Amino acid sequence: MADRYSFSLTTFSPTGKLVQIEYALNAVNQGVTALGIKATNGIVLATEKKSSSPLIDASSSSKISLITPNIGMVYSGMGPDYRVLVDKARKVTHTNYKRIYNEYPPTRILVQDVARVMQEATQSGGVRPYGVSLLIAGWDDGIEPETKAGEDAEPEAEKLAVKSGKTGGILKGGPSLYQVDPSGSYFPWKATAIGKSATSAKTFLEKRYTEGLELEDAIHIALLTLKETIEGEMNGETVEIGIVGPPEDKLLGYEGVEGAVGPRFRVLSSQEVEDYLTNL
Amino acid sequence: MGGFDFSNHSRNAALHAQGFPLPTATSTGTTIVGCLFDGGVVIAADTRATSGPIVADKNCEKLHFITPQIWCAGAGTAADTEFTTSLISSNLELHSLSTGRQPRVVTCMTMLKQHLFRYQGHIGAYLVVAGCDPTGAHLFTVHAHGSTDKLPYVTMGSGSLAAMSVFETAWKGNMTRQGAVDLCSEAIKAGIFNDLGSGSNVDVCIITPEKATLLRNHITPNEREKKMRDYRFKKGTTAVLNQKIITRADISKYVTVHELDDGTPVAAEKMDVDT
Amino acid sequence: MSSPFSINGGAAVAMVGKDCVAIACDLRLGLQSLTVSNNYPKIFPYGDVYLGLTGLATDISTVSDLLRYKVNMYRLREERAISPQTLANLVSSSLYERRFGPYFVSPVIAGLNHKDGKPFICGFDSIGCIDFAKDFIVSGTASDQLFGMCEGLWEPDLGPDELFETISQALLSAVDRDALSGWGAHVYIIEKDKVTKRLLKGRQD
Repeated sequence: MADRYSFSLTTFSPTGKLVQIEYALNAVNQGVTALGIKATNGIVLATEKKSSSPLIDASSSSKISLITPNIGMVYSGMGPDYRVLVDKARKVTHTNYKRIYNEYPPTRILVQDVARVMQEATQSGGVRPYGVSLLIAGWDDGIEPETKAGEDAEPEAEKLAVKSGKTGGILKGGPSLYQVDPSGSYFPWKATAIGKSATSAKTFLEKRYTEGLELEDAIHIALLTLKETIEGEMNGETVEIGIVGPPEDKLLGYEGVEGAVGPRFRVLSSQEVEDYLTNL
Repeated sequence: MGGFDFSNHSRNAALHAQGFPLPTATSTGTTIVGCLFDGGVVIAADTRATSGPIVADKNCEKLHFITPQIWCAGAGTAADTEFTTSLISSNLELHSLSTGRQPRVVTCMTMLKQHLFRYQGHIGAYLVVAGCDPTGAHLFTVHAHGSTDKLPYVTMGSGSLAAMSVFETAWKGNMTRQGAVDLCSEAIKAGIFNDLGSGSNVDVCIITPEKATLLRNHITPNEREKKMRDYRFKKGTTAVLNQKIITRADISKYVTVHELDDGTPVAAEKMDVDT
Repeated sequence: MSSPFSINGGAAVAMVGKDCVAIACDLRLGLQSLTVSNNYPKIFPYGDVYLGLTGLATDISTVSDLLRYKVNMYRLREERAISPQTLANLVSSSLYERRFGPYFVSPVIAGLNHKDGKPFICGFDSIGCIDFAKDFIVSGTASDQLFGMCEGLWEPDLGPDELFETISQALLSAVDRDALSGWGAHVYIIEKDKVTKRLLKGRQD
C-alpha cells in the first residue's frame, strides 16, 4: 500500500517557510538565464543554449516551445521537469479549453492552468515541486492596448483598464508575458529574466526598457541583455529566440478557410539568430 | 470530451420503452468522394444537411480539418462526424507537437478506426480520409463500425452510388490535379441532382505535399432566384402589448441580467392575465 | 406515441438583419393537448447573447440552468462576457457530451460578435451539431411551418424595425398552424447598443 503512506514532501518549517519550494527556487537560480520582453506588436523570449561538451548536437535540442499557435514558453532550471510541463501545458490547452470552446485559451488562462499544475506538486503526496520557473508569452485576440475604448462590449471595464495603465491582460487582446514559479505563483511582466543572472539581467532590462517598444527593438535588447550574462560564445547555435509576432499565414499550411489566421509564435532558426547577432 | 455522460441514458431508454421515438439527429445524407492524382489527392462533398425529410442546412461544411495536410469528408450523423474529426485532430496536433514530426494519414486513419470500433458503430461517422505526408498521398474510407479501405477513388454517403457511377465511367489512372478536381466535382454533382439526401453546392479540398487548398462552394449549381418583390411589412404591423429596452451598459455590468421584483413590477412581465 | 420533443410544444426562431439580430419564441407550455401555461418563455439571456430552447420542458430548464452555470463560471474565470461564437461551441460540446443520453432540446443562439459587431445566429440538433445559417434558424414543434414562413418572408439587410415585423409575422403565422405552439410570443431585437424585448399578442386557442 504505497499510497497509504504517501504524504506531501513539502511541509512547513517552524518559521512558516516551505523549504522544498525554496530549494526548487535554488535550482532555478542555478539554471541558465532566460528572458522575455514585451513589445507593442509582439514579445520576444530568449535564452542561452548551453552545451556541456562540444560533442553535443545542439541543433536537435530546443528550450523554447510552442504551446498553442499564439503562445510560447521558455524556462530556467531543470530541463526534464520543463519537458513534463510543456507536455502538460499542451494537453491542458486542449482538454480544458479547445475541446469545449473550439478555440485556444487566452494566455492568462493557460498561465493559470500551468500554475495549478505546479502548485499541486507542492501539496500532493509523493511528489516534489517542479524545479523550473517559466516565462510564458502569448498574444490574445480582442481589443488591443492602443485602441481606445469605443462602443465596445464592455465600456466600463475598458475605462478602468485604461486608467490602470494595464497593457494586454484579459480585458483586451494584445501581447502578454508571464512568469510562473515552482510555488505556482505567477506575475505579469513588461520585461523580465529568470535563472542564474536574473538579477543583473533585470537591472540591465530596467535601464534599456522603454514604453512603446517595437518587436525588432525588443529582440535587439534581448540579445544585448543576453550578451551581458552569457559565458561562452554567442552564435546561432548557442542562442535561442522565440517570438510572438504578426500572424504568419504561410505557416498555416492550408488556404481557403474563412477566418483562418496563421500562428504568431515561432522559434527563430539558427540562421535568423545569426543574422540578428551580426547586426548587433 | 472523449468521455461521454450517460446520466440521461436510463431516463431516455425508459421513455423509449414507453413508445417515445428516439430523437432525430441532423444527418448529412451526403455525397462525399475522394480521388488520388499525380502529386496529391482531392476530396469533395455536397453541402446539404437533413433532418428526416427536412433540409436543415443548405450550405453546411462537410470537409473537416484534421491537420494542415490531412482533411476528412464526413457522412452520417452530422454531430458524430464533426466531433470525431475534431477529437482526432486535437490528438494528432498534440502527437505531432510532442514527436516534432508531421502526422501521417495512416496514423489518422488508425486513430479514427480505433475510436469508432470502440463504440461499435454507435458513433455514426462515415469518413473519407485524405492527405499528404512524408510517405506520399493517401486516400482511405472509414466506416462507423471501424472497417477501412484504401483505394485510388472512393465515394460514401447516400449519394455514393450516383457518384461512383461517374467514377466508374470516367476515372483513369495518373490523373492531373485539374482532372481530379473536375472528376470529383462531377461525381458530387451526380449526387446533388440524383440523390435526395444530397444537394446545394460542391466543396472541394486539394491536398498536395506543399499545401492544402480548400475550395469552399467551388461550384454553386443551385443558387436561389432572387425574389422579384418582397414581403416587407410596414412598421407597426404587429400588435405589441408592451416593450422593454435593455441597454448594453446594463448588460455589461452583470453576469446575467435578471428582472427583479423591486416593488415596481417590471413592465414586460405584467401580461400574465388576459386584459 | 408522440416524441419527447412534442409533449410540451413550443417554437423558437432567430433571424439575421442589417447590424442586428432577432430571436423570438412562443409562450405556450402544454402537456400533450392540455395547455398548462400561457407564460412560459423559451429565450434565456447569457450576457448579451440570447439562447432559445424548445423541446421537453424539463430539459429546457435543466439545460438553461446548466448553461447559466457554465457561462457564469466562464465570466468569472475570464473576466469577460462570453461571445456568441464561444457560447455556440460551449452549447455544442455540452450537448455532445450526452451523445448517448441526450437532452430533448433544440437550441437556437442569437447575438452580435463582440469584436466586429457582426450578426451571429446558429441552431443545434439535440446532440450538438451546429447549423451555422446566414439567414434564419427555426426550432420547435412549429419548425416545419417556420421554415416555410421564413423562406418566404426573410430577406437580407432588414433594419431592426423591419426585422421585428418580419420575425413576428413569421412566428405568429407559423404557430397559428401548430396546435402545440402559440399563446403569445416574446421577440428580442438585438442591436449594437441596446436590446428591445417585445411581448406580442397572439391567439389564445
